[in-house]
Amino acid sequence: MATIQIKAEVSGSVWKIITQVGETVEPGSTLMILESMKMEIPVIAEDGGKVEKFTVAETEAVNEGQIVAVLSK
Amino acid sequence: MATMSEIFAEKKAKAEAMGGPEKLARRRAAGVLNARERVTKLVDAGTFIESGLFGTSGSRPEDHDRSPADGKVAGFAKIDGRECAVVANDFTVMGASSGATNGRKIGHMKRVATSRGLPMVFLGESSGARMPDHMGARGMGSLLGNDPTQYARMRETPWASATLGLSYGSSSWYAVLSDFCVLRKGAVLAVSSAQLASLAIKEEVDPQEMGGWQVHAEVTGFADYVAETDEEALQAIRTFLSYLPSHHKEAPPVHPVPEGSGANMANIAKLLPERRTQVYDVRAIVRAFVDAGSFFELKPRFAKVAVTGLARLDGRTVGIVANNPLSRGGAMDTDACEKITSFLVLCDSFNIPIVMLVDNPGFSIGIEAERRRAPGKIMNFMQALQLCTVPKISIILRKSYGQAYLNMGGGRNSDEVAAWPSAEVSFMDPTFAVKIVHGLSPGDAGFDEAFAQMNKDNEAWGIAAIYAVQSVIQPHETRDYLIRMLDVHRQRLTNGVGEHLMRAWPTSF
Repeated sequence: MATIQIKAEVSGSVWKIITQVGETVEPGSTLMILESMKMEIPVIAEDGGKVEKFTVAETEAVNEGQIVAVLSK
Repeated sequence: MATMSEIFAEKKAKAEAMGGPEKLARRRAAGVLNARERVTKLVDAGTFIESGLFGTSGSRPEDHDRSPADGKVAGFAKIDGRECAVVANDFTVMGASSGATNGRKIGHMKRVATSRGLPMVFLGESSGARMPDHMGARGMGSLLGNDPTQYARMRETPWASATLGLSYGSSSWYAVLSDFCVLRKGAVLAVSSAQLASLAIKEEVDPQEMGGWQVHAEVTGFADYVAETDEEALQAIRTFLSYLPSHHKEAPPVHPVPEGSGANMANIAKLLPERRTQVYDVRAIVRAFVDAGSFFELKPRFAKVAVTGLARLDGRTVGIVANNPLSRGGAMDTDACEKITSFLVLCDSFNIPIVMLVDNPGFSIGIEAERRRAPGKIMNFMQALQLCTVPKISIILRKSYGQAYLNMGGGRNSDEVAAWPSAEVSFMDPTFAVKIVHGLSPGDAGFDEAFAQMNKDNEAWGIAAIYAVQSVIQPHETRDYLIRMLDVHRQRLTNGVGEHLMRAWPTSF
């Protein structure tokens, strides 16, 4: 089982987490939406997989490159 | 005594047997094609004419009998009916290492391709320089440095490469010198092997971490395309070449327009969110207006803020450069500059008109950007755009700000600029402008007056009124507009051939 670390592409804050732990997501799915530069920036799982955990919570600040979720495949 | 034709048949069978049944069986079991199978899958059936079948290792007599075709299968063949030159490394023969004879074979293929106007294809899988042939002063002197143009790329004809296994040395050099570089998952593209790297730096080196597909798709950007299998990689080369002319002195081929092209134009406006704070995937818009199924994205996992790819409009090849707000709002970083620069060089070198789609808040700025040479990268991109002699058409979908307005073809940096009614154009965010010029923040006394002065009309109508964009078009008119304007700007005086002012620019930045 390979784990996939999902990183934030931008600094900002977590606006909404729109997937659940345990959910299997398709490649290209949006896991959560960040608020950054006055825009709603999605965090996308390029490869898809099962959501193992989120390492951030809604309203929390995130930095660019920070791991925000872990998927398994 | 054997007849001449029996001797011929025996020598031919030996050469075509490659590294022998055991090695070939191991590859088959691993689901990997051998060099000859790869050539067969790459080209039109029955069109391969081999060059150098009877070549063998030239340096050491003891290697003559164990080096069929000297480990590199070379020849000419047709791809979609067009003549090409092909070199496929045969890893079962001495690790497809580079030797004197196969070096001459590659040299001949390249010379013929360049002088006769044929695309060049490299199928890479090589352990690097052959040992002990290259060792010592005499080895170096006799095997290396005998071709002063070996790595001089002038883009006379398109080069496409697939790295289909372990690839070190010249196999990697040809991969990155190519205009199109495919990596198969499991392959490694690197300067030298992980083993040698471990010896040199005295620490464990993981081959995939060093030169696997993820590194080249996401970090270096060398991989234009990642394939799951050999077959998919070879098909990707055929697809890439279908957009390209055979050489730089002709226009790209024209294909029939697939049925259903433009069928979704009525709904294209719905792909752009109503609220300007929301993002979208610009690739959905591209797919809607180009010929059905014709969008072939390059480097999709590298610098995702910018989308680059080949497509067709009315059967004719175009190069698409688009900001993608889906990633970081479309703000371009230094990787995006490099990705777009190399794509502009490709298009201009092979007479492919450029279509730019603009929606970005500007370049990414900050300490990290400066340390990554942002001014230099932005200017490389800008210089490439201004040196392009192919037709350029730019469409402003939404935001276009600051220097990025120029880089994305604003003003006279395109031959035609059109704006969707949703376009907004300005120098910077008016709130930032008030802070910079007046030192005022929202809530400060005088902020509102200063803001009103800065917050000038930034709508499409303003820039159209002074003819700094030539047209304002509705989203559903985009396909027809582009087809017509590309026709207006067709390079009739030169039969669709540009000046190729960047033909000697680097193939990677």
